[in-house]
Amino acid sequence: MQNLGLLAPEIALSLLGLGLMLADILAPAKSSKLLYHFAWVAAAVALALIARGLSVSGGLPLPVSGGLWVVDPMSQFFKLAVLLSVIMTVMLCLEYGQLPPAQAGTFCALLIFSTVGMMLLVSATDMLLVFVALELISISSFVLTGFERRNRKSNEGAIKYFLFGAFSSAIMVYGISLYYGATGTTRLVDPQSAGLWLPALQTKSPVFTLAMLFILLGFGFKAAMAPMHFWVPDAYEGAPLPVAAFLSVAPKIATIGVLARVYMVLVPAASLGFTTLLALLAMLTMTVGNTVALFQDNVKRLLAYSSIAQAGYILIGIVAGTALGIQGVLLYSLVYVAMNLGAFAVVQAVGDNGSRDGLGSYELAAFDGLAQRSLSLALFMTAFLLSLAGLPPLAGFIGKFYLFAAALSAGRSASGGISPAVFYGLAVVGVLNSVVSVYYYMKIAYHMFFLPANSGKGERLPSKDGGPLPAALHAGPYLYGCLAVALAGVLYFGIYPDPLIANVQLSVPHLP
Amino acid sequence: MNLSLGHYLVLGAALFLIGLFGALTRRNVIGILMSIELMFNAANINLAAFNHYLHPGGVTGMTAALFVITVAAAEVVVGLALVLTIYRNSATAYVEDFHLLKG
Repeated sequence: MQNLGLLAPEIALSLLGLGLMLADILAPAKSSKLLYHFAWVAAAVALALIARGLSVSGGLPLPVSGGLWVVDPMSQFFKLAVLLSVIMTVMLCLEYGQLPPAQAGTFCALLIFSTVGMMLLVSATDMLLVFVALELISISSFVLTGFERRNRKSNEGAIKYFLFGAFSSAIMVYGISLYYGATGTTRLVDPQSAGLWLPALQTKSPVFTLAMLFILLGFGFKAAMAPMHFWVPDAYEGAPLPVAAFLSVAPKIATIGVLARVYMVLVPAASLGFTTLLALLAMLTMTVGNTVALFQDNVKRLLAYSSIAQAGYILIGIVAGTALGIQGVLLYSLVYVAMNLGAFAVVQAVGDNGSRDGLGSYELAAFDGLAQRSLSLALFMTAFLLSLAGLPPLAGFIGKFYLFAAALSAGRSASGGISPAVFYGLAVVGVLNSVVSVYYYMKIAYHMFFLPANSGKGERLPSKDGGPLPAALHAGPYLYGCLAVALAGVLYFGIYPDPLIANVQLSVPHLP
Repeated sequence: MNLSLGHYLVLGAALFLIGLFGALTRRNVIGILMSIELMFNAANINLAAFNHYLHPGGVTGMTAALFVITVAAAEVVVGLALVLTIYRNSATAYVEDFHLLKG
């Protein structure tokens, strides 16, 4: 019972979510902006609570509760990243014109519930809690994706996301039932000592291996790993833009967090013989994401495929399975939040443009001559794209450097029947993919700087000559706030990553 | 004839495979939903059978099955709501008619 205090941020956020749903009924539609402000302030308070908890414990091992969930620096790190992304998402929502104002409370409540699910997910050490947390995330996200009720694209994205999500949950639950059969419990840690508990006998049994494979497939769907990525572009294109930005970041890194906890720490992939399988998945994820992104004309879809590829890079760290790998995963997850949300924020400024007529376009052509219409937005976008491509001195470079270094060092110390070539191959494929990705990221930059501006609203390329120059593009203060936070993160951690690295290193020794 | 754990596991596996097959081949969203429900229930049968035969003292399996039933119900509610919305807007519930998003 004394451990309940550790759950305070989650409990507070859940209560607030319920409150927001009530407020939705009571508050008049014209004060809907107030609810968004309420939501982001609440997320900021939860963030402050967690940050305070970390500084109070001063890097000492935090108390671990009964075995259902665990509070350690790694889980807190992922919670901070998730809360940061939800705050930035709400900022984007404040500037987004297509959301129905009458349902602002419901929208915020779903966003908050989804966040609570992610916070529980990264702390979970019990398969049942993992399942319930994943479903809390998924069910909220399905509704958020379909939130533009009159928009048929939004409907279609939501139903595709729902079908894939429910299907993957069913596979995962079947895996959990086999896990229970093989071990007699749903816990991932020893219930008595609350420490690491590897059922040595069961790891060899085929039922246990099958269970872990099914569970991996379930995680793979949520983290959009390659053979299970088909829902991603459709869901992102259909979803309201802030929701697409949120989905591309928060559920993904939360799933990466639990994937790292389960397959690196509690039941290492190497002990299951999954290392080669995971390495193949990582290579496939990177390659498919980057290759298909080359041919996209819609920036939302392009960023969707780019986010698939980014998840592939993070998987490299999980395959490596070393302390350096965990550090790389943590580092890249936080950096990824900043750069990807920043890029989506610029896409929103161009495509939505604060208008309520829904004329904005997310086609690549809408980015033509953005530098003439708004130089600052074009420069922001360039910084985020360069960081996503992994060029120094931006933060994406540091993250990728860590991940590839983890793969190389794992290759040097490979043992136990795993060929070092697996790790070296992974690093090589990762570097080659980064090179390929530069092309399509820079394609957006080319459209922004070297093509003449057009109306930015046509679905087709309008005529190049004649016609008045399109008006300068203005974005609201919250969008610029979001951009500033993201850019600060990308630049600061790129040029001076030492504090972040120190924090990340701190969280590794305290894993159970 | 005595029923053993094996019988239940075979039943669960068969149900799971039927559901898997249905989810991959059905063209109607409602049909896919029903197939996914079959897969959830296959897991429930497994959980209950494992609990009864392997760990008769505990209740973990039964509790887990209750959780799965509840969460699956919540999922279906959202799914049906989405089907209703899309049916209102485009008067179809067949997946091959969902083709606005591609590329």
